[in-house]
Amino acid sequence: MVDGLSLNIAQILFNSLLTGSLYVLAAIGLTLTYGILKFPNVAHAEFITFGAYIAYTVADIWKLGFEAGVLAAFVATGLLGVASHLFLFGPLIRKGASILHLTVASVGYGIVLRYAMQEIWGRKDLYYSAYYPGFDLGPIRVTPLWLSFIFLAVAIVAVFHLLLTKTKIGKAMRATSNNPSLAQASGIDTRKIILLVWFFGSALAGLGGVMKASDTRITPVLGWDILIMSFAAVIFGGVGSIYGTIFAGYILGFVENLGVIGLVALKLSTEYRFLLGFLVLVFALIFAPQGIAGITFKSIRRRLSSSG
Amino acid sequence: MRENPDRKGISTAAAAALAVVLLIVGVAAGYFAGSATVTPQTTTLTQTVARTITTTQTVSAAQTVTQTVTQTATATATTTVTQPVTQTVTATRTTTVTTTAAAPGGLPEKVKIGVLLPLSGELGSIGVRMLYGAHIAAKIVNDSGGIGGRPVQIIAEDTAAVPDKALDAVKKLVEVQGVQVIVGPATSVEAATIAKYLNDRKVPAISMSATAAALSNLAKQYGDTYFWRVVGSDTIQARALADIMKEKGFKRIVTFVVSNDYGIGMEQMLLAQPGMRDRVVLTIRYDPTKGDYRTELEQVRAANPDVIFYALWVESGKIVFRQALDLGLDKIPTMGGEGMADEAFFADPRAAEYMVKTGLFGTRPTYDPKTYSYQIFYNMHKRLYGDESSLFADYTYDATMVAILAVGHAGVYDGAKIKNALALTGQYYIGATGMKAMDPSTGDLLSQDYLIWRVELKDGKPTYNFNYGFWSLGTGVVWK
Repeated sequence: MVDGLSLNIAQILFNSLLTGSLYVLAAIGLTLTYGILKFPNVAHAEFITFGAYIAYTVADIWKLGFEAGVLAAFVATGLLGVASHLFLFGPLIRKGASILHLTVASVGYGIVLRYAMQEIWGRKDLYYSAYYPGFDLGPIRVTPLWLSFIFLAVAIVAVFHLLLTKTKIGKAMRATSNNPSLAQASGIDTRKIILLVWFFGSALAGLGGVMKASDTRITPVLGWDILIMSFAAVIFGGVGSIYGTIFAGYILGFVENLGVIGLVALKLSTEYRFLLGFLVLVFALIFAPQGIAGITFKSIRRRLSSSG
Repeated sequence: MRENPDRKGISTAAAAALAVVLLIVGVAAGYFAGSATVTPQTTTLTQTVARTITTTQTVSAAQTVTQTVTQTATATATTTVTQPVTQTVTATRTTTVTTTAAAPGGLPEKVKIGVLLPLSGELGSIGVRMLYGAHIAAKIVNDSGGIGGRPVQIIAEDTAAVPDKALDAVKKLVEVQGVQVIVGPATSVEAATIAKYLNDRKVPAISMSATAAALSNLAKQYGDTYFWRVVGSDTIQARALADIMKEKGFKRIVTFVVSNDYGIGMEQMLLAQPGMRDRVVLTIRYDPTKGDYRTELEQVRAANPDVIFYALWVESGKIVFRQALDLGLDKIPTMGGEGMADEAFFADPRAAEYMVKTGLFGTRPTYDPKTYSYQIFYNMHKRLYGDESSLFADYTYDATMVAILAVGHAGVYDGAKIKNALALTGQYYIGATGMKAMDPSTGDLLSQDYLIWRVELKDGKPTYNFNYGFWSLGTGVVWK
């Protein structure tokens, strides 16, 4: 008998927004670096973890408060990204490394980072002492932390939109992403732009790390829990497309939460929830191989008519 | 029956002579015994039923000497040594038989008892102290002359609580060390992994701490009982839990379990208890790697339960508790099985807060330490390793004792014979942790007592109160 299947739609949407925000924060950095440097940075998972640990150090070891910790995580992880480019990926690219070389290097780099963090902060789970009790907001149960993270993610998306469309730097970023040599030829300092992209992409990952950690715990494998879904969001959104990634992040968050409800109703393990997310991904890619960013009405009609 | 070529017993010449002289008697005895020895596993736990125990003793690669011991109710015993085609020995007894008094000729110079324990890795620190129990048992037996004069030797192998390593370790024990009886392994996943190998090689293992209900099926699955345990299966625990739920009057129960053998096993066992299917309104199996359980917990709230039953892993469980607190589920009482009585949950202060607020309570295997048999163990532990007995060292001691006594009872160092002796040995052994009667069809302990614990605040700190209540098959639920 299943009478547990009474749905609180508002809460489900809220939970999806929360899950989606996390994927968006983690995936934007991935898609940015991919857009410009054309390789998937697997060490991105460790950037997420790094942010969580930095926030812990500032907030709970130095006791400067949780807000200071969040800010520190943003800045420090951004700088880590910049350093990674300056000392590792930049030199590799200059020496003519291929996508495969760079990807493998990022895997190795990620492992070095993970074990370095494990050495510094230990293998045991850590927790932020900052805690804000939840309350009921109409039919939805929320905590101040969840609210502020959703707000933060949405705000960042908005700021990013303005940055990309209204400012010179944003236009330069898009130009560099589209065609680096052409951008350089037209007088854009692509080196500076690339470092900027590394900074923001990594900083957002660090923020995502704090968000995930405050909701769960801090462990050396924190980033890995999110990386697969982040990659899915990147591919689903259309690799290199920021808007597509944002949209895909929230879609995947929603499908996942809906999937959990379905699985519980069917008395199945919620382990299968990945299956649903990726099922959506696979079907979406069959119809739009370029990801969401490549979807136009015309392209769908063309595909449908060509497949009979 | 199978031959085991690398086993040595009586000298070849003597055996050959014996075999020739008694050949005629053997043929005759074999003719009469043949029909009775087809099914060697007819051991039952009813005392009055005649039992058939078979033993085979290989003398050289080519020759086999077998004994037929027949003991009747009038205590007249006939002994026939022979070499029949069936290569079997039957011992039919209607009187009670406790332990040894077997011919030491059937035992090797040193009786090896293999021990599988996690001596490194995450459970390493516990495993090392569990091993004390095995050494204590060996010490006590050796101090009183060993098994028929043959000393017991403990050979421990590290499994790190990893199934693959456990399989390597058991192979090393059996193939390199020639071990014919094993104490361990400690965890249920390891037991499930090595069970087939144990059956194939006919070497019994006696676990001290594997409680998963699914392990009861191993005997049926592989055809014979080579996995035994001196700790109660979760099947009994589920009965205790169901009794407690009924006693508390819970009518809308939600189960929230980790999606693996442990969690699903607990859920299924609970549902299998009479009347529980009507009371359990929602079952949730969560993914331990997901790290976000808001939606699952939201479903729990929607089901409006009067109790949540948890079977969680510590790592993911702390997240479940933290998010349950965030979602405001702290008004619904909570329960759990043995695995939930773990102070590691307190590492997250939010999780601990939730456990205290909801008064999480549950069961855990227990026994009465105010017995003479416990004192024997305790005194030796104190003498050798200090007076702080460690978790499961007591059960390891009992598992080792049962193994040793079974070897003595079998009278030969042969896995299949030792296995046949286990049920009877357990029935007449009262150990540190209570009576160890085991069901020969499943290898399960027949009864187990449970204490009822509860998470409480003591001096401002969350603690487990292990004196909240008690449950046993005889007494039912008793609150303290």
